[in-house]
Amino acid sequence: MNKEYIVIAFTENQIGVLNRITACYLRRKINIESLKVSESSIKGISMFVISAYTTEEVVSKLVKQIRNIIDVIEVKYYNEDELITQEIALYKISSKLFKENGRVEAITRHWNTRIIEFNPQYVVLEKTGTREEIEELRAELERGGLLEEFTRSGSVVIHRDSIEEILQNKIDSNV
Amino acid sequence: MANKQRVKGAEALLMSLIAEGTDIIFGYPGGQVIPIYDHLYDYKDQINHILTRHEQGAVHAAQGFARVTGRVGVCMATSGPGATNLVTGIADAMLDSTPLVCITGQVPQTLLGTDAFQEADIISMTMPITKWNFQVTSASEIAGAVAKAFYIAQSGRPGPVLIDITKNAQVEEVDFAYKPCIYLRSFQPKPEFDPALAEKAVEMINRAEKPIILAGQGIKLAGAEQALIEFAEAGNIPVAQTLMGISSVANDHPLCVGNLGMHGNVAANEMTQHSDLIIAVGMRFSDRVTGDLKTYAPHAEIIHVDIDQAELNKNIRVALLVHADAKDALEAFKVGLKYKDRTAWFAFAKDKAALEDKLVISCSADPEGKQITMSEVVQRLAVAEKSDAVIVTDVGQNQMFGARYSRFNRTRSFVTSGGLGTMGFGLPAAMGAKLGVPDREVVCIMGDGGFQMTMQELGTIMQNRIGLKMIVLNNNYLGMVRQWQQLFFDRRYSFTDLENPDFAVIASAYGIPSRRVTEPCDLEAAIAELVDAPGAFFLEVIVKREENVFPMVPAGASLSKLIFNE
Repeated sequence: MNKEYIVIAFTENQIGVLNRITACYLRRKINIESLKVSESSIKGISMFVISAYTTEEVVSKLVKQIRNIIDVIEVKYYNEDELITQEIALYKISSKLFKENGRVEAITRHWNTRIIEFNPQYVVLEKTGTREEIEELRAELERGGLLEEFTRSGSVVIHRDSIEEILQNKIDSNV
Repeated sequence: MANKQRVKGAEALLMSLIAEGTDIIFGYPGGQVIPIYDHLYDYKDQINHILTRHEQGAVHAAQGFARVTGRVGVCMATSGPGATNLVTGIADAMLDSTPLVCITGQVPQTLLGTDAFQEADIISMTMPITKWNFQVTSASEIAGAVAKAFYIAQSGRPGPVLIDITKNAQVEEVDFAYKPCIYLRSFQPKPEFDPALAEKAVEMINRAEKPIILAGQGIKLAGAEQALIEFAEAGNIPVAQTLMGISSVANDHPLCVGNLGMHGNVAANEMTQHSDLIIAVGMRFSDRVTGDLKTYAPHAEIIHVDIDQAELNKNIRVALLVHADAKDALEAFKVGLKYKDRTAWFAFAKDKAALEDKLVISCSADPEGKQITMSEVVQRLAVAEKSDAVIVTDVGQNQMFGARYSRFNRTRSFVTSGGLGTMGFGLPAAMGAKLGVPDREVVCIMGDGGFQMTMQELGTIMQNRIGLKMIVLNNNYLGMVRQWQQLFFDRRYSFTDLENPDFAVIASAYGIPSRRVTEPCDLEAAIAELVDAPGAFFLEVIVKREENVFPMVPAGASLSKLIFNE
């Protein structure tokens, strides 16, 4: 059954690792829903968070192939509920509507957003939350004809157990 | 190494290669590698550079060299078209786990990404077909990159790596000091063997009545030939080989039941289907081995030993995964193993072999004795070479006949393009193989199609006096495709017939002694002439036009659905 799987990989910070990892998805014609790369809590080691819809059988094979990439130190896949996941989104709304439409303020307060830019042309609201929360707010603003532009980050995740500790142990034991 | 030397990057490259034991490079010069070639001129006494006639020839030669010696094959090409011409061989080496270090030149760093003359993004292009690749843009990176390349290419499951060196890095000066790579924190080439798995495996093996060992190339790569035989003998277990595993066990060993797969032996395939336990070692359950997965080995539990964790449970779900080096596993499996007679099981093998003999082998020669058949040529060659030659094949019917009827008495003696099935592989790979084991007899078996894909390498054979024996089985067809067209496409021979030149004359033009035979009565003498020739020899055999390779498991069909004739 197709569902969302999140692959987390820790790699050496090397040129080309990103391409090698995404090529594993490409070969099997799996579309990546979101992808985030950043430095992990250990210097020189990058953390990849990749989410895609596929089956458990495929993702388990995919992860084994990613593990074979020389610069990949550790890689695992997770169900969404095994991770604490947040995304950040920015919503652009015309200043005129923002001021004149009485509902906007209620919406922004209800969804716990933050105004990060306010100028005569537009207002930019920022929201952090789960993908569902972010999408719900987007839908609500779209329904009201308020939304001018929208952008969303990939997932920022943290495991319920400490995966970075496991990683650190792995690096230490190898030395 | 404490002694530092101030050298140019190009020279640092050669010194690094020598430090890794390289004494032969297959290559082709061009604009962006001229500095390296300039230094090669001074290193002729330490590095034998073989100038091929095409970069594809260079990479296949490096593969042939690696496959027979077990050492890393090294090839070199210039940027752009030189580099892209290596691509097929690199992909081939990736699928067949062949250790290669490929070196390409690249435009100067300042021109990267500008569509400069002969610039090609070879790093991106070879990313999915290399185990690792790296672009060197400064001379200071060269020694480290070469060390890492050799370590990665030959450890764990071997494979090709590519180093792309910009021209500025070749001409810059650097303090050279070489340190081999022995460890990378992100790469664990050899898994630790878990003794609990051996216990479990031995228990399963001791319980089995009809076990069979499927031996793949991993046996050769791990140097586990002896361990395999000792294990098989200890449990009295029959051994079947994959195409890539051929020659890991001698054909005349009583436990050897032949080859697996699409054109394998009846006994090996039928035993797979009737076995109650498969012990698969260093093989990957390729679709050419398994046929239809749903009906594959219906009665068997499977133990799968492989050094590559990504192969485990990839194509076939198995009962026991053993992530291990083949030699470690086989040595451990021997402990506590019970010997069983398995009289009925071996009788089954014998029956199936007799069936194959009756339906296929006994009728492989032309009954009227008018035409030579390909199977006859290979069988006669095996006898004439006393099972002792290295046989290199091209791809197609020649390859399948080569695999079926060649005989081997020692390992690393059969070289073929298994995974990628690259036509044109044979001749250059055989050239590299002969240079790798100059004291052994090396024979290349090709078809008229594949030979013409890389026949320019006759020039390399001439110039370097490579004592390679060549046989072209000429049926004026792309025979394997024609066979499929005959069997599955209603005999519509769409673009598979070839009008050929006189190959023997071409060989003569290169100064290579040659002979062309058309009559069955001349075949034996012609093969004797080839075997006895002191140096290179080229034999063209005009064979029956529409000979088919049987038995055959049609693509995607069950292994039990063997076909024996048209």
